[in-house]
Amino acid sequence: MLRAVIGTKEEEIGCDDCFDKLDSFIEMKLAGKSPEQAMPLVQDHLQRCKDCRQEYEALLEALQNLGSEV
Amino acid sequence: MLRWFNKNKKTDKKAPYTNEEWIELLSEPPNGQAVQELRKYLVRGLKPALSKYVDRELDQFVEDVAQDALLKVLDNIHTFRGDSKLTTWAMKIAVREGLTVLRRKRWNNISIEDLKGPNADDDSGEIFSEVFSSGSPTPELTAAQKMMVEKVQDIIQNVLTDKQRKVITAIMIHDLPVTVVAEQMNTNRNNVYKLVYDARKKLKNEFEVQGINPEEMLNNLSGE
Repeated sequence: MLRAVIGTKEEEIGCDDCFDKLDSFIEMKLAGKSPEQAMPLVQDHLQRCKDCRQEYEALLEALQNLGSEV
Repeated sequence: MLRWFNKNKKTDKKAPYTNEEWIELLSEPPNGQAVQELRKYLVRGLKPALSKYVDRELDQFVEDVAQDALLKVLDNIHTFRGDSKLTTWAMKIAVREGLTVLRRKRWNNISIEDLKGPNADDDSGEIFSEVFSSGSPTPELTAAQKMMVEKVQDIIQNVLTDKQRKVITAIMIHDLPVTVVAEQMNTNRNNVYKLVYDARKKLKNEFEVQGINPEEMLNNLSGE
């Protein structure tokens, strides 16, 4: 908890903004680009929010398994 | 009549579709074939994504989730902006749907009202450990360390609102999902995250005002 408090930044995004951008973030990741650099606020939120991180990881798993389908 | 004709005409083609085609096919009235193609796609993606969280009847669970997600996709198709492939956007909705159901099931016996906060009377050390060192074994606290811990507990008690203490306790100490906390508080995930953010900011500011160096405190408590 203290670590989370120490790491608090002035600018952070919430779960809605993160969810909104998650599909384009993950497509960049799958394309071998660096969404962490292009969307640092999304990356920051994913590190802080366990729910969003879990959804990101599950989505990545789903898309990686589907490969180039549809 | 014309719209219905156009929809039927599009069944000649099969996936993969472009985003524009998907939007057209899934907009009211949706094309049955396209809906089934998307449902199957969701099922195929959800299985590997959720398998580690589901211990039995994965196939049925995934079918149910895909069906519910599909309804959400159809209801919200007008909000799709085309920032990604439509199938990625739909899978994002499906994954959230599935994990939300699983979180509800996993935590349905826990009430955030019953959780012990950092100022709980039972100071067995367990709460100290969770607050300060993310669940590592409880250290034997020296008198000076105990004073520091109590000071931080006082700050949490005096600076935060009841609501902020409640969400901090549930999410940061007891590791409850934001989704579950939001549902129990009759609000949404974004609002709960904002409460946590405001609480973190308040605590950080108060530490600075009181000259507390949290990094140093963490090092002291872990004996580094």
